[in-house]
Amino acid sequence: MYTKEQITPESGFQEPGTTDVVVIDDEESICEGCRQTLEAEGFRAAIARDGTKGLKLVEQSHPKVVLVDLKMPGISGMEVLAKISEFDPSIVTIVITGYGSIDSAVETMKIGALDFLTKPFAPERLIESVKQGMELGRPAKEAEVTEQAAPPLEAPEKAPLNKQNIVLKGLEVLGQYYSLGLKKQHFFDELRYLEVEAEYHAERLGLIEKKEEAILDIVHDLRLVDDIIEKYNYKKNALIQILLDIQTQVHWIPGHALRWVSTRLNIPLARIYNIANFYEALNLEPRGAHLIQICTGTACHVRGAAGLVDRVSSILGIQPGETDSEQLFTLEAVHCLGCCALGPVMVVDGEYYSNPSTKQIQEIAASCKVSREKGKNYAKVELNR
Amino acid sequence: MQRLNSTADLEKLKENLLAKSKGKKVVCITNGTDGKTHHSQDVLKAFTDEIQRQGLSGKVIVKSTGCHGFCQKEPCAIILPQETCYVSLKPEDVPEAVSETLVKGKVVERLLYEDPNNSARITKESEIPFYNLQSRIVLGNNRFIDMESIDDYIALDGYGALSKALFEMTPEQVLQEVEEANLRGRGGGGFPAGKKWQTTRNAPGEPKYVIVNADEGDPGAYMDRSLLEGNPHSVLEGLLIGAYAIGSHEGFVYVRQEYPLALQNTEIAIEKAKQYGLLGENILGSGFDFDVAIHRGAGAFVSGESSALMSAIEGHIGEPRPKYIHTSVKGLWNKPTCLNNVETWANVPFIINKGADWFKSIGTENSKGTKIFSLVGKINNTGLVEVPMGITLREIVYNIGGGIPKGKKFKAVQTGGPSGGILPESMLDVPVDFDELTKAGSMMGSGGMIVMDENTCMVDTARYYTDFLAHESCGKCVPCREGLRQMLTILNNITTGKGKEGDIELLEELSEFIQEASLCALGKTAPNPVLSTIKHFKNEYEAHIEENRCPAGVCKELIAYYINADDCIGCGLCAKSCPTNAISKTKDKVYVIEQDNCIKCGSCAKVCPEKAKAVVIISPKPVSETAQAAT
Repeated sequence: MYTKEQITPESGFQEPGTTDVVVIDDEESICEGCRQTLEAEGFRAAIARDGTKGLKLVEQSHPKVVLVDLKMPGISGMEVLAKISEFDPSIVTIVITGYGSIDSAVETMKIGALDFLTKPFAPERLIESVKQGMELGRPAKEAEVTEQAAPPLEAPEKAPLNKQNIVLKGLEVLGQYYSLGLKKQHFFDELRYLEVEAEYHAERLGLIEKKEEAILDIVHDLRLVDDIIEKYNYKKNALIQILLDIQTQVHWIPGHALRWVSTRLNIPLARIYNIANFYEALNLEPRGAHLIQICTGTACHVRGAAGLVDRVSSILGIQPGETDSEQLFTLEAVHCLGCCALGPVMVVDGEYYSNPSTKQIQEIAASCKVSREKGKNYAKVELNR
Repeated sequence: MQRLNSTADLEKLKENLLAKSKGKKVVCITNGTDGKTHHSQDVLKAFTDEIQRQGLSGKVIVKSTGCHGFCQKEPCAIILPQETCYVSLKPEDVPEAVSETLVKGKVVERLLYEDPNNSARITKESEIPFYNLQSRIVLGNNRFIDMESIDDYIALDGYGALSKALFEMTPEQVLQEVEEANLRGRGGGGFPAGKKWQTTRNAPGEPKYVIVNADEGDPGAYMDRSLLEGNPHSVLEGLLIGAYAIGSHEGFVYVRQEYPLALQNTEIAIEKAKQYGLLGENILGSGFDFDVAIHRGAGAFVSGESSALMSAIEGHIGEPRPKYIHTSVKGLWNKPTCLNNVETWANVPFIINKGADWFKSIGTENSKGTKIFSLVGKINNTGLVEVPMGITLREIVYNIGGGIPKGKKFKAVQTGGPSGGILPESMLDVPVDFDELTKAGSMMGSGGMIVMDENTCMVDTARYYTDFLAHESCGKCVPCREGLRQMLTILNNITTGKGKEGDIELLEELSEFIQEASLCALGKTAPNPVLSTIKHFKNEYEAHIEENRCPAGVCKELIAYYINADDCIGCGLCAKSCPTNAISKTKDKVYVIEQDNCIKCGSCAKVCPEKAKAVVIISPKPVSETAQAAT
């Protein structure tokens, strides 16, 4: 097996039509691994260890599929891709990428790459992708991708987009998702997973109607989680503080945020759930736009907090701990807020009310409804830091 | 801000600050959480605007202070140097206060506190009966310090005790002083702080930690919130002195997230102390290093227990662990850790400044110093009161608190939070200190003092506490988890008219079992509210069980609201306030409650004018609806 390597050095001359796949990567192990895998499957493969040699090889041998690593010394993978597309747009390109550069990989897909493989990848994954590329051969490749990626991402209703734009838009969203640095081997698997997550998220929140919006919302949350975790310097013992910060900023702790914290801090998800369930301040269910808390401390209790809870419940139509169907209000009967001299106390979005009258409660409820019509308006119980 | 590198720097800063404010008038406006509820921010803004409008900028300093104590009358403003105190201010009162008091030096009578007993107007805050019977030491500075200003604290000799400890005393001497003063833990346990410090100091292992426990979970107590909001530096200074004595270089402040303002002000305080070099490395040039971080509690009562709290700081579930070895020896990350309550730490600077002998001159034989109580519930003057140990409950309730509102009858006072007990009228002459309260069947606790009148149902109160504790039990010990749940079921039955003979005995039996077999203080003391109510108010239990009657008219299932047709004046306030529209007008122009729609929230009774008092509570519930006529 060593002889072959010596006979066909990496940039050796190749006759057109004698090669199916060219692998361009500066890492020898990847090149060799790919070649052996592909040859075992019956493909004729050639390798090059940098961009310049690779382009030469492509021009000489005119393969059907080229695998390109994005990060190489000298001429970059992006440039190689652009040159190949200039030379012959029918050549199918597949991008090989390391951890952390996935967003640029998505960029390459925008300029025509069929797929991308995240190192390390399984041989089956490589074969699957190359086979797909071999079958595609000619320009229909974009339409094929569309069939793969488009169904999950619905076109926005207003602007009529062509298929390609839809894919690009979807990829942009996913690009954002991947730019978070997720280590995923299967792009499309991840896409489907994210799909399910987005659907679930949209359903839970009610405010989100499109999956695309839901994915963006998830991406937004995850970025926020990243910022928070960074603030605590990836310290595992800051877990409760991190969850509290997420709670303060997102107003509840969505499942994807919990999983993200688990991945980032390398803490088992079960332990995080355990903690999130133990502490009262952490909510695993979405809350309404406005948070209404009624203090049930002893001082408030003896001054009629129970009656206040009953009144507010009957006016809002929800029981303590519940959120109304429009996700406008969440009513909570909470532990002592330490305003014992003013009981019974009600707090609406951080505003304190001492012994509010029925009329006052009705007015507050009405004004919340008005502000809702102005758009998504979360309760403003944040700390001014 | 210039870093302070020596005691001389601190002294100089203090002198500069005093010189800068010399001859200026000061307006201190209460702007803590209690004040904010009554829109103190508007009052504060009105003052700033009005002072500018009347051309007094630069001559008057406006301070946004924490709660002064008399929360019920907030927002109030103290105008210095005369100490004129205006209460229950509204923004529209401000122009007059500025033009009369600040400009002309006159007093605006109508804004002064009016003594309800003799209608006398009182000018100075310290002369208001609520205040003049107290000994305000720890809380005393709250009214002169802007919540966010470290300079205000320093101008009042703040960090002077720290400087004294660092430069004039050895750690051993500091320790000895605190031990000598016999400062006992204000969080509830009453364990001598000096002893705790000594244990941590002597315990093997480095680093050593110090912790401020501000997880004030006891419902009905809020002195820690008030201290952290209004005067966070006094707590930090105490902590620093403690850390120096113990030999610790790292500390934590554990604050409940339900106290957003306390959290915010503590954060600001730490930031500013760091800028002055009062926290961090080489404090005041002494070579002593100390840093402190905030940890927010996420809403679990049991996390206030020392070992649970430490577990929470480590990032785990806040569950207590067996304390065969004290946390002062093996605490946070298994290192020696000294944990004290906010109020305990806040007492330390005073002890260092004025000496153990001064501290010992206040209080009783075994309980020295003062204690802050939150005097709340059915009482005329609600707020925080700081009194010397040994004062009687009667003095607190009647002389400081001004008795029970609306001429109602006093029934009991509850102290010690959910672990404490209920003390009836016969025990009002008990002197308040750690040992006497325990002897009387209650406890000091963190200082909640909830006054109850004839309209408070004792069975409901016991049910309330048991519900709270059953909910807050971490579930580790079966007797606590399951026992409390069973007790709650029985109490729920009694308060909904499903009680049966033998329930009281069963409650007593369960109580004993839970007390014996639980690990931490939560479980061990959980049956106290039930036991003390049974002890003093057994007749109420019996009325519920035997007659389906709630004597206080509280338990919803056993009462009905009716409007007495003879007394109804037809004003219609009740109908307007009814959230379910259950009240309608009859052809006789009186109002009537439709029982099927009534949710018994009591809003009609609350709004019914004093002169009519037509809404009555009937218990037990009448058998038929026609019973209304019978009343």
